[in-house]
Amino acid sequence: MKFITKYLPDFLEEITELFYQQRKINPLPIWLFLALCFNLVIAPAIYAATGEDLTPKASYALGILTLVTVALSLYLFVVIFQPERF
Amino acid sequence: MIVIILLITKNQFMSNLSPKKLPHQPTRSTHRQQKKQQRVNLKNLYSRACKDAFIKFNPKTMLKNPVMFIVWVGTIITALLTVDPSLFGPAPGENQRLFNGLVTIILFLTVLFANFAEAVAEGRGKAQADSLRSTKADTVARRLLADGSVEEISSTKLQKGDRIKVIAGDFIPADGEVIDGVASVDESAITGESAPVLKEPGSDVASSVTGGTRIISDELVIKITAEPGQGFLERMIALVEGAKRTKTPNEIALTVLLAVLTQVFLVVVATIPPIAYYVGSPVGIVTLIALLVALIPTTIGGLLSAIGIAGMDRVAQFNVVATSGRAVEACGDINTLVLDKTGTITLGNRLAEELIPVCGHSQAEIARVALAASIFDNTPEGKSIVKLAQQLGAALDFDQSKAEGIEFSAKTRMSGTDLPDGSQARKGAVSAIKGFVRSRGGKNNSDLDQAYERVSHLGGTPLAVALDSNVYGVVYLKDIIKPGMKERFNQLRRMGVKSVMLTGDNRITASVIAQEAGVDDFIAEATPEDKIRVIQQEQAQGKLVAMTGDGTNDAPALAQANVGLAMNSGTQAAKEAANMVDLDSDPTKLIDLVTIGKQLLITRGALTTFSLANDIAKYFAIIPAMFAAAGIGSLNLMGLASSQSAILSALIYNAIIIPILIPLALTGVKFRPLTANQLLTRNILIYGLGGIIAPFIGIKIIDLIITSIGLA
Repeated sequence: MKFITKYLPDFLEEITELFYQQRKINPLPIWLFLALCFNLVIAPAIYAATGEDLTPKASYALGILTLVTVALSLYLFVVIFQPERF
Repeated sequence: MIVIILLITKNQFMSNLSPKKLPHQPTRSTHRQQKKQQRVNLKNLYSRACKDAFIKFNPKTMLKNPVMFIVWVGTIITALLTVDPSLFGPAPGENQRLFNGLVTIILFLTVLFANFAEAVAEGRGKAQADSLRSTKADTVARRLLADGSVEEISSTKLQKGDRIKVIAGDFIPADGEVIDGVASVDESAITGESAPVLKEPGSDVASSVTGGTRIISDELVIKITAEPGQGFLERMIALVEGAKRTKTPNEIALTVLLAVLTQVFLVVVATIPPIAYYVGSPVGIVTLIALLVALIPTTIGGLLSAIGIAGMDRVAQFNVVATSGRAVEACGDINTLVLDKTGTITLGNRLAEELIPVCGHSQAEIARVALAASIFDNTPEGKSIVKLAQQLGAALDFDQSKAEGIEFSAKTRMSGTDLPDGSQARKGAVSAIKGFVRSRGGKNNSDLDQAYERVSHLGGTPLAVALDSNVYGVVYLKDIIKPGMKERFNQLRRMGVKSVMLTGDNRITASVIAQEAGVDDFIAEATPEDKIRVIQQEQAQGKLVAMTGDGTNDAPALAQANVGLAMNSGTQAAKEAANMVDLDSDPTKLIDLVTIGKQLLITRGALTTFSLANDIAKYFAIIPAMFAAAGIGSLNLMGLASSQSAILSALIYNAIIIPILIPLALTGVKFRPLTANQLLTRNILIYGLGGIIAPFIGIKIIDLIITSIGLA
């Protein structure tokens, strides 16, 4: 953590630390927020790939759907490799 | 339709709710179970299960069931698509909102039915726990202090090692050992048996008392043996309620299999859109979700935990408390049963039938010595010898108060009396008495061996009687094999379970009883150490072993066995070492437990087969509908009306099959004592072939209904 924050501006360092602390208390909102942020990268790619067929809103929704599918797949891998947790 | 399904489920389940009578189930136990059943309040079972089914929609709960979690996520996505059909792009076709809404409702019901199945299975345990909790009231206990005074404190404050006094009418506040007094205790709250049980100190089987039971006569001084909240009743409540339920190894293995299948189908469905686009037949998100839900094994995914909980519940209905589902499952995999002869295979009330004099002694002489040797023996056998000797005219010719009783021990294998004149009267195993006589300079006569063999060949237990260096004869102790034992052992043999009888009797008696009862093997003149040796030998060959026991000396063997069934009347050590406790203290129940365990495994296997076989029909319903534009209409084997009706029919079938199978999951597949291969063939035919055919018929019928009412 210190290694990452060393190279960040002060305000980003504070935000990162806040995220780090909150992730321990309640990780779900942080993960959701990060997923939505990551979708800001995926959605334009989808929009660009589909041309005029999709609206930006539909691209953004499809991006989220893609992330949900990946998350489900990861969840199933956890079930497969650590079944006793469930 | 949902109401009809719930009503059918309720009626079928209620009709099967009373404990099933397994082959040769003792009537006494069934009667107790019925009484216990009456105490458990099942009135609100369904209303509580309906409420719990909705509560289980909590994502944290849903995460524990991977298959149903996928359906739950699918429901949310289709619900969003109902609100905005063009959320993920232009929506092809008409009435998309109606179609999406119908799919959402069906998926929601699929999850609801799965939750309901689990809630119903849990509900009975919770009702039982409530009934037990009502027994466990906070009472005032009379604690005895070091100076002999009595202090009244709350029962929750009692600590291990405290001494308390209970009098007639009191509820015993915690588990303990009787250290003083003799009293009758009503244990019906735990066992369902209303007949009082005599409790007294110094006896393995009668000195332990359970918190929550009631003393109905006299008074007792009890030493508390359980820490607060760790008593038998508390542990039982936690178990029946499923608070500590963890997945069994088989359940974990099946969960992994289901997760792998779900993962495979998720990847398959996720990669379909580019292929569909390529073949010129683009598919909507709702159709993809419908295909995913239809392909993943939702039936077994929804019923898996219900089957496990119901298995535990069936064991509880037999008045047996299992420490874990693992123990119940292990019963189904048992290869070897180690059983005591007396009380398990035979009725156990061995009574003296005849006194056979030897070495030229008369009947009156052996009666006199047998009476002297048995006068301090309070076992049923000892009392019956005293009675028979007195019937033959014998009377005590010494002052009993000046004589000393010598207790039976597994080491000496004899008991008797040291008489006031210094002579020693003994009765016991013939070999032990021979050694006793030899050690005093006496000689053994061939008469003794003849009498011994005669009694042994009759299946009786021969007890030699001696006074100092003289053998006077043999007591014939007659025991009767329980009715139906041979059939039960035959059943076990057909299931591949080997039975081993352990007895302290000699080899001839043991072989006669073993042959009559039909056990596969026996160990004669066995000591308690032999039990653990036999178990270790069998386990070394990779076998799973089950045994029963009630004494402290059985505790190591109970702990060593894969399934250890302790009697509730047994010692605390035995109960703690075992992974099951029989509240009726009926050792024969171990055979029923093997049946229940096998039934649990068979039910799980049968429903898994059925669930996987179902996929074939659903595949043929949805794939032609999805790729209709790609020219694969010939795959529409069922001739379903339209693509939407095909998807809806497959999903409706997928949803309603769960409540239809709830009664089967809860009551278990009917058990038949067949070999593993026979069972496999039978279940593949019924649940495999049936699982392929049933959905073809079901989906077609639902399609006709949907088309006729104009839903799609």
